[in-house]
Amino acid sequence: MLGSYGVGKTSLVERFVRSMFSPKYQTTVGVKIDKKVVTIDGEELILMLWDMAGEEDNAPVKLKQVQDASGYLLVVDGTRAKTLDVAKSIQQRVETEIGARPFLVLINKADLRETWEIPETAWAELADAGWSVLETSAKSGERVEEAFMTLTSHMLKAQADDSEDDD
Amino acid sequence: MTPKTTIDDLFAPFDLAVFEQLANGLFQPVGRLPVWLSLSDGPVDLADRFPILEIFFPECDAVWEGGSAEPVQSDVWTEPDSRGGELYLQAVATAAGGRRFIALRSLPQALFTYQQLAHDFELEKEKVERLSRELEVKRREAERATQAKSDFLATMSHEIRTPLNAIIGMADVLSLTSLTREQQKCVEIFQRNGVALLNLINDILDLSKVEAGHVELESTDLDLREVMARALEVVEVRATAKGLSLSQTMGPGVPHYLIGDPSRLRQVIINLLGNSIKFTDQGGLEVKVELDPENSEPGRLRFAITDTGIGIPEDKLGLIFESFSQADSSTTRKYGGTGLGLTISKQLVELMDGRIWVESEVGVGSTFFFTARFQVQDDQTERTAEPGLQNAQASVAELEAMAAGLRILLVDDSEDNRVLILSYLKGTQSGRTDSTIDIAENGLIAVGMFQTGRYDAVLMDVEMPVMDGYQATREIRRIEKETGAAPTPVLALTAHAFADMAVKGYEAGFTELLTKPIRHVTLLAALAKYGTGKGGAAIDVPPPPAPAPEPAQTSIRVRVEEGMEDVVPGYLEKRRADVPVYRHALDAGDFDAIKKLAHKMKGTGAGYGFPRLTELGAELERAAMQSNAGVIRENLEEFANYVEKVELEYIS
Repeated sequence: MLGSYGVGKTSLVERFVRSMFSPKYQTTVGVKIDKKVVTIDGEELILMLWDMAGEEDNAPVKLKQVQDASGYLLVVDGTRAKTLDVAKSIQQRVETEIGARPFLVLINKADLRETWEIPETAWAELADAGWSVLETSAKSGERVEEAFMTLTSHMLKAQADDSEDDD
Repeated sequence: MTPKTTIDDLFAPFDLAVFEQLANGLFQPVGRLPVWLSLSDGPVDLADRFPILEIFFPECDAVWEGGSAEPVQSDVWTEPDSRGGELYLQAVATAAGGRRFIALRSLPQALFTYQQLAHDFELEKEKVERLSRELEVKRREAERATQAKSDFLATMSHEIRTPLNAIIGMADVLSLTSLTREQQKCVEIFQRNGVALLNLINDILDLSKVEAGHVELESTDLDLREVMARALEVVEVRATAKGLSLSQTMGPGVPHYLIGDPSRLRQVIINLLGNSIKFTDQGGLEVKVELDPENSEPGRLRFAITDTGIGIPEDKLGLIFESFSQADSSTTRKYGGTGLGLTISKQLVELMDGRIWVESEVGVGSTFFFTARFQVQDDQTERTAEPGLQNAQASVAELEAMAAGLRILLVDDSEDNRVLILSYLKGTQSGRTDSTIDIAENGLIAVGMFQTGRYDAVLMDVEMPVMDGYQATREIRRIEKETGAAPTPVLALTAHAFADMAVKGYEAGFTELLTKPIRHVTLLAALAKYGTGKGGAAIDVPPPPAPAPEPAQTSIRVRVEEGMEDVVPGYLEKRRADVPVYRHALDAGDFDAIKKLAHKMKGTGAGYGFPRLTELGAELERAAMQSNAGVIRENLEEFANYVEKVELEYIS
């Protein structure tokens, strides 16, 4: 889980793993690791969810902890336009420092859609860049399950492609 | 015997969970584990329990392999504790005598409180910023809506007032001809209702201006007795006609010389008096001014207008200041009016930092109170009023005498307008001291002339090519500021008078906005008022007799006003010459050319004594804006017919 602070990374994990939501904001210290067993195509998988502390100016994301990730969710707060810039910058660094990984962009806080400030043009821009975007709400649960499951199947597909390449 | 020191005792004060790595890779706790860590005592797979250690162990190897003597420490991570809270953990690796140790420590929450607070603060700040942006958007939307309303009203007022003026004017003309008693009665009804309708429209526009916040009070010298006298003068005729007495008293200590907005104060008093007269059939009215008994601040006054009228039921007392509401809807039928006067008064009084209310007893009468705040002039010694300004109605001759000797800069791109205004001013040049009039064809030329010449007044057209009247006036104000000169009155002339234009104009520095078609006496009065440096006292201008076209099948007769003999025929000739130009433009589909021609005619026709040309100009302009060839053709034929048939009649 990557993104600026306060975008809802921890809440998305809470919603996905425990079907819970707390409106109280608690900043994540370091990293918080959770796991969830999912079934995909009849197969059981254990997802290790690394919920990283939100990026801020003087505390960039620790790429060392992203190194072994199979994929990542890039979370943006729809009500704060600048968190999209943070997400773009993180994606850039991940791509150049440790290489491409499957990822999805989650524009979170869809329950507050009326007050979103992500400019209309951003959607087209993200689509042009080939990014998959989902609008989620940890509060209502909107598309949260779908987000994790979509990423999981992308990761599985990437691994399958890799092993084919190895053959 | 000394007690045996165990490794437990050694590590206990540090509150650490210490493990040693076994040959099979598992970790064996060393000594007692701290209470915050729930783990069994046996060997444990630490990386399974704390997955973050997977990425830490490779770093530990440097220490464990003996390459580094310095312990290494991991990044901090969060673990749930047994009570639903959180632990912030960190691992430290060290080696001793070839043995591999790792210690876990729990960091105090307080270390991270600052971070939490900083994030809370930042998120709240962003939220406030977002909310203020939203408010700003809403404010702009509201402003746009108000703007649209103002624009609509501007257009409507122009469209309604033009034909209405024609109706009233024609009724005036008709009343001067020989009529039977019955016809005379009909014409009077036209006149009375026409004026009532015009007043209503003016009220609505006035209210919309106040509501849109487009009214700013003047802050100028105000002679309280003068304001009262003028207000009483206006209503006197109506009071006398109903046999009502009218009196005023000034309480002790009320200062006469104030600073405020005399015309708005007068408007409120007139509104309230007019209202009282309407609802009073016998007895009388009294206006009383005293120091505000509830506020001793200097300049706080309370006005009371008492009548002996029908009174207002108690439950309706609060309602009467609302728009379009009278105490009883049957009142409207019986007494007429819209009740807008009270609403406007309320708004104006509030602008004067006061309040308005009424006390009343049914069948006995009502007292309307309002308070207002003024500044008190330091000098309260008696002054004698300017002679000549005392009379509310000044004649053209008097006004001409007052405006004589003025140096005037006339700025207008339309030759027709210039000729018209010059003819209006002719009378100011025949006296002992002639006025001088310089002409500029646009704002830019005017600014140049203003820099070198000296003027008592500037007559400024608003819509002009190259530089318009707003910009030119701003430039003039700037020049005055730079040179420290006193502001020259700038009297702006426009075909569409409305709040926005007025606001924009007054912001640019207009002294007064005069509406075209401008009347002879209005122009002179404005020049007399502002140009002579005797500003402040308004002059009520009597409506001049309307020009008199006699409707006829074969010819239309238009009476040429005195002093206009030299210019009217030329003007009419030019309009006749316009007919083929219009036709050509219509054939070519050049609506823009038609619009421009028609706009000019709209602004000048009535001024030269042809209100019909102003009407036709308006029709043609509107049709041209809608590119409606059919309507243009219709009006064009009428226009051609009119200018062909019209005959000028001179008064000998």
